[in-house]
Amino acid sequence: MKITVLLSPGLHPLSGKPVLPRLEAQAIALGKSLGGVLSGLAAASCPDGVADALGHGLAQLDLIATTEGEDPMPLLAAALAEDGPKLVLAGRRSQGGEESGLVPYALAKALGLGVVADAVAIEPGTEPGTLSILQALPKGARRRVVARLPMVVTVHPAAPPALPYAYGAARRGTLRARRVQAAPGAPDAAPGLFEERAYRKRPKLMRGAGTGGSAAERLRAATEAGGAGGRVLTDLSPEQAARTILDHLAGLGILR
Amino acid sequence: MSRPRKDPRAERQARAVPGQRPRYDLARRPETPGGRPRHDPRVEIARARVPGGARLRLDRTQHAGSSPSVAIGAMSATPPASTTLLAAPTPRVVAEPAFLVFAVADAPDGRLTGHDRQVLGGARLLADADGGAVVLLAPPLVDDAGAAGADRLLALPSLGYAPETLAAALLAEIAARAPRHILFPESPDGGDLARRVAVSLGEPLFADVEQLSARTAIRPTGGRRREQAGAPPRLMTLGEGRVAPHLGDPHEARTIDPCEPTETTPGILRAEAVPADPATVSLADARFVVSAGNGITDFTSFKHLAAALGATPGASRVVCDAGLMPRAAQVGASGTVLDADCYFALGIAGAPQHLQGIAGCEHVVAVNTDLHAAMVERAELSIIADAQAVMPALLRLLAEGGA
Ligand SMILES: Cc1cc2nc3c(=O)[nH]c(=O)nc-3n(C[C@H](O)[C@H](O)[C@H](O)COP(=O)(O)OP(=O)(O)OC[C@H]3O[C@@H](n4cnc5c(N)ncnc54)[C@H](O)[C@@H]3O)c2cc1C
Repeated sequence: MKITVLLSPGLHPLSGKPVLPRLEAQAIALGKSLGGVLSGLAAASCPDGVADALGHGLAQLDLIATTEGEDPMPLLAAALAEDGPKLVLAGRRSQGGEESGLVPYALAKALGLGVVADAVAIEPGTEPGTLSILQALPKGARRRVVARLPMVVTVHPAAPPALPYAYGAARRGTLRARRVQAAPGAPDAAPGLFEERAYRKRPKLMRGAGTGGSAAERLRAATEAGGAGGRVLTDLSPEQAARTILDHLAGLGILR
Repeated sequence: MSRPRKDPRAERQARAVPGQRPRYDLARRPETPGGRPRHDPRVEIARARVPGGARLRLDRTQHAGSSPSVAIGAMSATPPASTTLLAAPTPRVVAEPAFLVFAVADAPDGRLTGHDRQVLGGARLLADADGGAVVLLAPPLVDDAGAAGADRLLALPSLGYAPETLAAALLAEIAARAPRHILFPESPDGGDLARRVAVSLGEPLFADVEQLSARTAIRPTGGRRREQAGAPPRLMTLGEGRVAPHLGDPHEARTIDPCEPTETTPGILRAEAVPADPATVSLADARFVVSAGNGITDFTSFKHLAAALGATPGASRVVCDAGLMPRAAQVGASGTVLDADCYFALGIAGAPQHLQGIAGCEHVVAVNTDLHAAMVERAELSIIADAQAVMPALLRLLAEGGA
């Protein structure tokens, strides 16, 4: 099976230096675990960061040179249409760029592929031409999705960790400059519609905190135990106590 | 702020003596009454007077200057229709909306999540500024959508996990009703759906909004180094904990009929939920935690109990320090802060450092021998009994139930 891992030039969250986004390194490990022919595809203005993918176990990487600020979408779509991979692996979002997470979906739309998000494990499906993908959900739950190939799969942070960076592998891997013919991307829908400025940190709402009243009242509501406490039962036999607890938990829908 | 601000410059200027040199007559009283305002009892009584009724009634609770109409409206015999202080609130109706705002909810098992309610709150912000109506698009609900702030309710098909069909249904609704804004939760499923809809519409998505008002929406970019701000665009996903849920009057939540969606050939063939394994899930992710404190000595039956309840085992610091439970199981300020729905504390006193770790838990159940323990105060159900005796009883009952 032909697998392409989409790589993007990322910026390190602390230092701001070019790095390979962690999720994309995890995508390489996930692709390798599936077997098949694995290659990388990136559209970047310089190979810094992206080239680290070779050290994380990727044997071959095609790099499409872009100019600064160019939309990589049409170039990637054209290159993928040429290669025709069965499976495209990608991160959930770029790191350090626009971070809207639209690229995998837009590529899938352009190439007519299906999308499955947030994969933590992938294995071949029981029917030919399908994959069985384990999807991560909140609170440690998972969902097994069977989908038809070809498709785009994005990787979740809970996927197995990336292979460690190896200098020898990075030297052995091949980095190919690639040229594709693509119609220029649609210009930015409305440039200057949004003001770009330095980030300002905003606190999240506290869970359970009210929104009315003064600041002191909200603080009290958020930190105080729920008023005068709940039901307190004394002098129960262990059996009665156990029955009460189980009934209560079942009433909350906690026990299954 | 009811006290008028002093403006020293203006006060000084009022005492200036005309002439060449700057001179001030500090003894002179300014013509306009500065300092403490004079009482005018007649005006105050007239203002506090409650209209209607034969007897003179005064309402002295109000501050001078503020409009008394809201509180008085509640007391008078025939309240105006739009009063916000009615005892039994009648649902607010937006009959002729100027525009529509779509709020798309995840609502797993038909219950609105906290995040869904925040999305509805955000949609209300956008709608209320200009006389719009909020349409809630969700799978069939058991919750009260009106109380959460929905004017209209549109049921989406619920076929298990089928994001492609769901996106097609949403696209049909968007084409038919042309909403001004469409708001999604930035949750795994909601964010996925939003992106599917955005690329199908060919419109940009303003993802992970951190601040939303009727005038501006702000989202971080560049690894939270930069942000984009502007008028709220059409498609947005809202981050969790960014907008307060709707707390005002309930709305009408009238059910409207969905349109016929276009046929799709889904690439996703089937999906099946795999519940989290409580034994291996990390404490921070667990939804139900049973925790042992210094009051527990029998840790084998505690571990059996956790497995039988389907809960993730936790512990207080004393227990972890003693090496009776692994350090990774420690709940509290210096351990793990939980995000669980339910917490079951066995023999835990409830030190402040421990309670910090369970501040986000909605339901707490405690078993303790001490009636005055802080944990008993925090819990919604407390059993004053020996945990050592309750554990085997619980195990026995669970085994009977399972058999
Ligand atoms: C800087 C700092 C950080 C800390 N961080 C944490 C933290 O992250 N997490 C944490 O847990 N602690 C933390 N602690 C410790 C905390 O202050 C308490 O000492 C600890 O939580 C107490 O644990 P406990 O309730 O299990 O024990 P105890 O205080 O000994 O309480 C035992 C309770 O069990 C009850 N009991 C006794 N026998 C029975 C029985 N047979 N049946 C039922 N009930 C019984 C008693 O009535 C009592 O209420 C921290 C302390 C400091 C100073």
